Amino acid sequence: MKRFRRSALIGVIAGAAASTPLILALGHSFSSMALGMLVGAGYAFSVRRTPQAYVDNLMTAGALGVPLWGLISVVALPLLSGQKPEWGAEQMRAHLPSLVSWVMFGTLLGIFNQGLGDLVEWIVGPQSEDLPRNSPEKSRIVILGGGFAGMKTAECLEQQLRTSGSAQIILVSETNALLFTPMLAEVAGSTLEPSHISTPLRSSLRRTEFIRGRVTAVDLENRRVHLAGQTSGSPSEQLEVAYDHLVLALGSVSNYLGMDNVQRLAFNFKSLLDAIRIRNHVIEMFERADRERDASLRAALLTFVVAGGGFAGVELAGALNDFARGILADYPTLSAGELNIVLVHSRDRILPELSESLARYAQEKMEDRGVTFRLNARLNDAQPGVVVLSDGEIRAHTLVWTAGTAPNPLVKELPFEKDKRGAVKVDSALAVPGQSGVWALGDCASVTDAKNGKACPPTAQFAIREAKIVARNIATCLQGRPATNFHFDSLGALCVIGHQTACAELSVPFLRTRSMRFSGLLAWLLWRGIYLAKLPGMERKIRVLMDWTVELFFPRDVVQTIDLQ
Amino acid sequence: MPTPTTSTPFAMPIVPRRQSWVEPLLGLLTGALGGMLQSGALQAQVANCILLGGVFGLVFGLFFAKRAATPGAGLIWGLGSAFLLWFLLPDGVHPLLTLSMASAHMLSDAQEHFPQLVAYLVCLGMPVGIVLGIRGGFLLKEDYPRFRWGRAIVAGGLAGTISGLAFSGWEYAGGFLPLLQGLPEFHTDRSAVILHFLVALLIGAIFGILFQRDVRGYGSSMGWGVGFGIFWWFFGPLTVFPLIGRVPIDWSADQGAVLFGSLVGHIIYGFILGTIYAFLDRIWIRLLIQSDPLNREPEGLGLHFLRSIQWGAFAGFIGGLVSSPVMLATGTFPKIAGVNTNLLGLRGLVLHLIVSTLIGMTYGLLFRNEAPSFGLGIPWGFLFGLIWWYVGPLTLLPLTMTGAFDWRASAASELLPSLIGHLIYGGSTAVVFQVLERHYKRWLLLDPRIASRELRRVRPVGTPAPALWFFAIGLGVLLPILLG
Repeated sequence: MKRFRRSALIGVIAGAAASTPLILALGHSFSSMALGMLVGAGYAFSVRRTPQAYVDNLMTAGALGVPLWGLISVVALPLLSGQKPEWGAEQMRAHLPSLVSWVMFGTLLGIFNQGLGDLVEWIVGPQSEDLPRNSPEKSRIVILGGGFAGMKTAECLEQQLRTSGSAQIILVSETNALLFTPMLAEVAGSTLEPSHISTPLRSSLRRTEFIRGRVTAVDLENRRVHLAGQTSGSPSEQLEVAYDHLVLALGSVSNYLGMDNVQRLAFNFKSLLDAIRIRNHVIEMFERADRERDASLRAALLTFVVAGGGFAGVELAGALNDFARGILADYPTLSAGELNIVLVHSRDRILPELSESLARYAQEKMEDRGVTFRLNARLNDAQPGVVVLSDGEIRAHTLVWTAGTAPNPLVKELPFEKDKRGAVKVDSALAVPGQSGVWALGDCASVTDAKNGKACPPTAQFAIREAKIVARNIATCLQGRPATNFHFDSLGALCVIGHQTACAELSVPFLRTRSMRFSGLLAWLLWRGIYLAKLPGMERKIRVLMDWTVELFFPRDVVQTIDLQ
Repeated sequence: MPTPTTSTPFAMPIVPRRQSWVEPLLGLLTGALGGMLQSGALQAQVANCILLGGVFGLVFGLFFAKRAATPGAGLIWGLGSAFLLWFLLPDGVHPLLTLSMASAHMLSDAQEHFPQLVAYLVCLGMPVGIVLGIRGGFLLKEDYPRFRWGRAIVAGGLAGTISGLAFSGWEYAGGFLPLLQGLPEFHTDRSAVILHFLVALLIGAIFGILFQRDVRGYGSSMGWGVGFGIFWWFFGPLTVFPLIGRVPIDWSADQGAVLFGSLVGHIIYGFILGTIYAFLDRIWIRLLIQSDPLNREPEGLGLHFLRSIQWGAFAGFIGGLVSSPVMLATGTFPKIAGVNTNLLGLRGLVLHLIVSTLIGMTYGLLFRNEAPSFGLGIPWGFLFGLIWWYVGPLTLLPLTMTGAFDWRASAASELLPSLIGHLIYGGSTAVVFQVLERHYKRWLLLDPRIASRELRRVRPVGTPAPALWFFAIGLGVLLPILLG
């Protein structure tokens, strides 16, 4: 404001001094001078000062004199004197003297404004800029977790807080990128390049400070988050991050239900590295089977077991089936009959999130494409080369676990009320009850819809909506306004089950109790369209689109990118 | 932490300090030489002309030489200064001193002094500006972008030819090639077309050579193109072409009025040339320079592009709303190129707003990141509005509505009322766009890391833009009034 006052004052004086040509052309000394002062103030206000820029100001203000002549002499002054604007060709020609005077006024204004500005700066000193500055006392909002929930919370907070410098946003995550999990199966199936489905958090977030680190503890009393050290992890290396608002968006981890052998031998399917490992392992199995002469051992090498018939398990089984059968052409010694993709599920049908008809469709389609289903079978144990089920054994060297998840182990350490899954219970505004400034959302939170009282599923769709509410509530909390309760009706679900085939069950707009079900190519196109649109970042979208296009024309790659030994 | 406060509007490119006597001396000598040429063309007293030219060159060397960092920048500053000289000497200071500003004879005085305007631009502004610009180019610091002849000639020549192509199709049908106006009649149409493309190629290549280092954005390049187009009209059809045809030079206002159609053609040609050159230059930079990881922009394609279109559309819509009372009052909606249409009332207004929004989108695309403050954004807006007066009501609208256009001075004179509306449209579009862009940048700059990233990204603005605004806006408005 101080800067504006100073600029305006300089402009007023410069405008008054430069107004002689206006007075001579327009007459009415006082009003012409007042007009000059007004224009001068506007000019000085709008141009950021640069020392010694005399010729630049002379030309700029001289150029502005031309349109000002049109606006003021031709239009405004006749209107003010109760006449019509004089914009006819002959009338404008008659105004030529005032055009000359406006240009001369402009050139003088530019010089005087610069000269006075330089003089004042020489006497008083440079003027302070009014650019947004970070205020010394800021509320620190610390978000733990860089998944959908954490990233979206940070994004929404940036939007909510806009140019306010009153808050600092810090995001702590073990990885420096957001993994777009709906496309993870395509990485394992070698359709997409791994990095194409990950969005770097540092470049995606505008004003959020990003810290890559593992949270070891949360000190609720002193309002601090402790992070593990960079190298040895010793306490002396630990980093502390103070907070005023803490957002728990820690996500979930695989829950092996106490089966240590399974945990040791099975592949996890949660991270990008897991997907890369699975892909490379499949290729490794093919390479080993290629030179294996023992038929039973070859069969075990070429048997891939996926435990869990939810979305993740079904999509992975479909992708692995396509990948494995697709690369058979590169291994002429192996036959399709030796290949076996098995999906193990403890219930009588897969995809419990979808309606029964769609689940049956998915199973039939996948069976047609070569996937074997072991329904009503529990995974009990795993030994090297053997997967033990409740109804028998499968000789296989590959087991992928997608059958259960649990909230991040850190949540267990926190003294909050939790549900039977171990997730933190939150109120309808997604705040942790009894803990001022602590919020929880996503897979690590037990959220109940404020409108219908139903428990919200731990899916990305809900996590994103919860993030919006958390960000809004933190912003309103900072402003001392009441919080908003969480409510969201699911939009539906989509699941890819194999090459150009998917199942879709979408809620009907305005009739949330009803849903539309369809399957096949249309559902697959819908899946690709929706998830491509949701993939963060234009660059990532283009890369994924190119991967999909290349995959249409060329076989999948069998290059091993990591050494599994 | 670096903050963008150092990114001052006229901060660059200023030629580094050097011996102060060289530029004034160079200016003095070139100006005196130009004065001598001018005396021949105007048939005026040699001593007076040499004195005037010498003083002009001396003043330019003393005060403007630091800005003439490249030949192109020097040319624009030279033209701006020469135009200012004409404004002040025959038409400004003299009537002011004699207190005859309100004289009804001022128009005829200005028309009488039209030959001086041409002489100042061609004999003083151009040579002094280019000579000092060439010297400035030699003195530039190492870290300033290197001049590349290949890029300048290839991109410029290609842009010139494409502009000539885009420009010639619909004009040649009417047997009117504005770039060749002033040359003697051609024996065959084929030779006229070949020469048209040769001139277009020449203008484009010279544009590339002169402005390669000044072109950083589409908007500013379009501006340089328009300024260069106006200058070329003075230089080509009014000066060099008659000499080629062994015809005495005629710098009178009457001859200017005869060649007014060519002026409009040159302005539109310059507009197309500047935009295409920037496009080709951007492609060159994107493929050969910015593809190097060391030179990458932190923000990739797409994000800013879409935002700029959105902001431009909104700004254009508001600009259309603000200018609509003027357009309505001047009867611009229903009357296109003197032809009455049925675009009356609400239909006309709706069409005006749709067109305004679309043109606003082009403003967003062309002028993003061109101006860091309102004071620098608004003149770009006025120039944009002025260009659209030449492109829209004078050319495109009559062409689409009637299949023909009229570039005579009398037709332009008839459309003068809508010029004010276009200036208001350009100015208000620029203000709204600036508000939206500033708001976004303030948001970005809140984070110190982003602030430093933005500082790296925002280009220095110290270009000959002020001189261009003065030259192009001044002459763009003045010439239709003077010659109509």
